[in-house]
Amino acid sequence: MTELHFADIQLGDALPPIESTITQEVIDRAALAHLDFNPVHTNTAWAARARVFGTEKTVAHGMFTMSQMASVVDRAWGRHGAVITHMESKFTKPVPVGQTVRYEGSVWELHPHGAGKNSVVVSVKATDADGSTVGTSSLRVRIPD
Amino acid sequence: MSDRNRLEQYPTTAKQRSFEWDFTKGVENYEVWDEIEIGAKGTGAHTYRIEEEDVVNFNVAALETDPLMIDLDFARANGGLRFHPLFTVQIAFYCVDTGIGSWVRSPGARNPGQTIEVFEPYRIGEAITATITHHDKWVRRGSYYMQDKIEFRNEHGTLKTRWFATLLLPKTREDVQRFASI
Repeated sequence: MTELHFADIQLGDALPPIESTITQEVIDRAALAHLDFNPVHTNTAWAARARVFGTEKTVAHGMFTMSQMASVVDRAWGRHGAVITHMESKFTKPVPVGQTVRYEGSVWELHPHGAGKNSVVVSVKATDADGSTVGTSSLRVRIPD
Repeated sequence: MSDRNRLEQYPTTAKQRSFEWDFTKGVENYEVWDEIEIGAKGTGAHTYRIEEEDVVNFNVAALETDPLMIDLDFARANGGLRFHPLFTVQIAFYCVDTGIGSWVRSPGARNPGQTIEVFEPYRIGEAITATITHHDKWVRRGSYYMQDKIEFRNEHGTLKTRWFATLLLPKTREDVQRFASI
């Protein structure tokens, strides 16, 4: 896609999915990028003892999952003038190190408010390799006319 | 390899190098669920000045490959760096220290979901401050939820982003300290 216009977007349009494998390096880099050093993410011995999420493994940041869900929209449309204005996410299952997650989004709502004010809502679901939903996100996106 | 040595491989910014990497330290000064007063309001302990290296590092950690997000020279020559939509997260954790909002660091916390509103894009060089309000706390199915409203403004007072930050927390100071000492 070289241009993005609100009139060209249809309900149900699917955005290109993305996938990430959650290695400890991915978690560590996210911890540094978020400045979130909760030991459940970065302290392997502590995570094994505390079992906060019922697993001995470290787990990915919920905000990393949210970042990937936002990336579904940003990678598809961000360079073409789309701006995310609202993000609401829920995390329904922890993502332990070693897991692979796929993020899929589609257009859920159209908001034709007029020139310069048009937006859509994209619904994104994050699914682990077992087929379980680990997170969902609803993203309001302002779209060029 | 120790956790610390493993993490030492990755920092690329001054903020990352100066930040405390062990959230089990200082828990005695964290706010805790059963002591938090809803409606209390304050300013985050630190002001965040947005540097190019912060943006690039965040984008790389988010697994971005767009040169406008991860190649500074390319971005400078092509209209400037693109920010990741979740960049607010780094600003939030940097601004919060052991004062108001410090519960976000609690060992044993769990993340049920988040809501972020974006009013204006961030720009390189802006100095961002966080105004934190203890917005709500509640109990559901035996879990203790805490929610702050955090508003991020630049040096001109322009509202950039609002984050309703929510976690499930250990209930008491003893609970938090027990998690920290596991």
